[in-house]
Amino acid sequence: MSLFTKIAALVTVVCVAHPLSAQEHHDHSTHTAHDMHEHHDHQEAEVANASHDGHAATSEAILTRTEDIESALAEGGEPIVADVLGVVCDFCAVAMNKIFGKREEVAAIYVDLDTKALSLVLVPGASLSDETIAELAVQAGYRIAEVRRGDAALGQNA
Amino acid sequence: MTGAAFGRPVSYAGGWTFIEESDRQSSSVLLHYTPTYQWSIGPRIEANRDQNFTVSSVQPTWLAKRWFGEDYQGNLYFFGGAGIASGINGNSLNNRFAAYGGVMADWETRSLFASYRARYLDAAHFGNQFMQAARVGFAPYEGDTGDLHTWLMVEIDHRPSDPDSVTATPLVRFFKGPLLVEAGYNITVNQPLFNFTYRF
Repeated sequence: MSLFTKIAALVTVVCVAHPLSAQEHHDHSTHTAHDMHEHHDHQEAEVANASHDGHAATSEAILTRTEDIESALAEGGEPIVADVLGVVCDFCAVAMNKIFGKREEVAAIYVDLDTKALSLVLVPGASLSDETIAELAVQAGYRIAEVRRGDAALGQNA
Repeated sequence: MTGAAFGRPVSYAGGWTFIEESDRQSSSVLLHYTPTYQWSIGPRIEANRDQNFTVSSVQPTWLAKRWFGEDYQGNLYFFGGAGIASGINGNSLNNRFAAYGGVMADWETRSLFASYRARYLDAAHFGNQFMQAARVGFAPYEGDTGDLHTWLMVEIDHRPSDPDSVTATPLVRFFKGPLLVEAGYNITVNQPLFNFTYRF
């Protein structure tokens, strides 16, 4: 058996061994709230799709609503969404969680690989400047493209 | 001989990473600390099973450049190490100073991956060795945060001093949270590959 044939055979075997996983994660470009709920069900996360709230859908990432984030929002903390460049894997998410999770201003955090966005909810009364968020992202090894707060973070802009 | 960690050799500021690598020729462990996002340092022990020697070293790794995009990330690293080479398994050669240096580069999206690494080791009378390896891979599905991520890859390595200088290793990478595991099999020389990375 040639080298190429061996490689092709192995790749085929592994692909066939993962059909369910592939099926579960199909078509990320057309996520609905239901899709996302399935996607995050291991941590009971749910995306607040703007259209659910009767607002115009936006291509901008909005706050990913995990259980922790919902709880922090209920406490009255400020919601922040930051678009992150270079987030392609779980190590990226771990790094952001570690760096931002150490900050006493942060009540809840979630890094969404699908939307490439960092969702934060601050402790009530706390503040975190755009510059500080950018610097913390650098410490994690990444870059912030844009920060949205309040209604914009929740996708509730007109 | 293992190059120096395909699984992200520099972490976040204040992070620790444990990396084990085992390929057709060597097995190694590296525990590194990342003071800033641009570099890491830590002790590394490598056992060359073919030539019966170990290299116990301290390895710094420098992230020279990271390219960011909305959907991709690219990295260029330089690494080195200095320490002691010692004989094992009946190899009675005396301990000698050993040093190595190399380069790594990678580019990945959530579904495509490519990388290259090269290293030169000077282990005195235990031997001087050059290796280079390139990988390509793809993810059959895009997992979200915390999901099990699966990658299918092929690594081609070149070790001019070996009788089988060019070999191929298909492998599977599993990635979940802070844990990365790779298992493969070198189909040229019939040797397993197993890599493990844990970030904390």
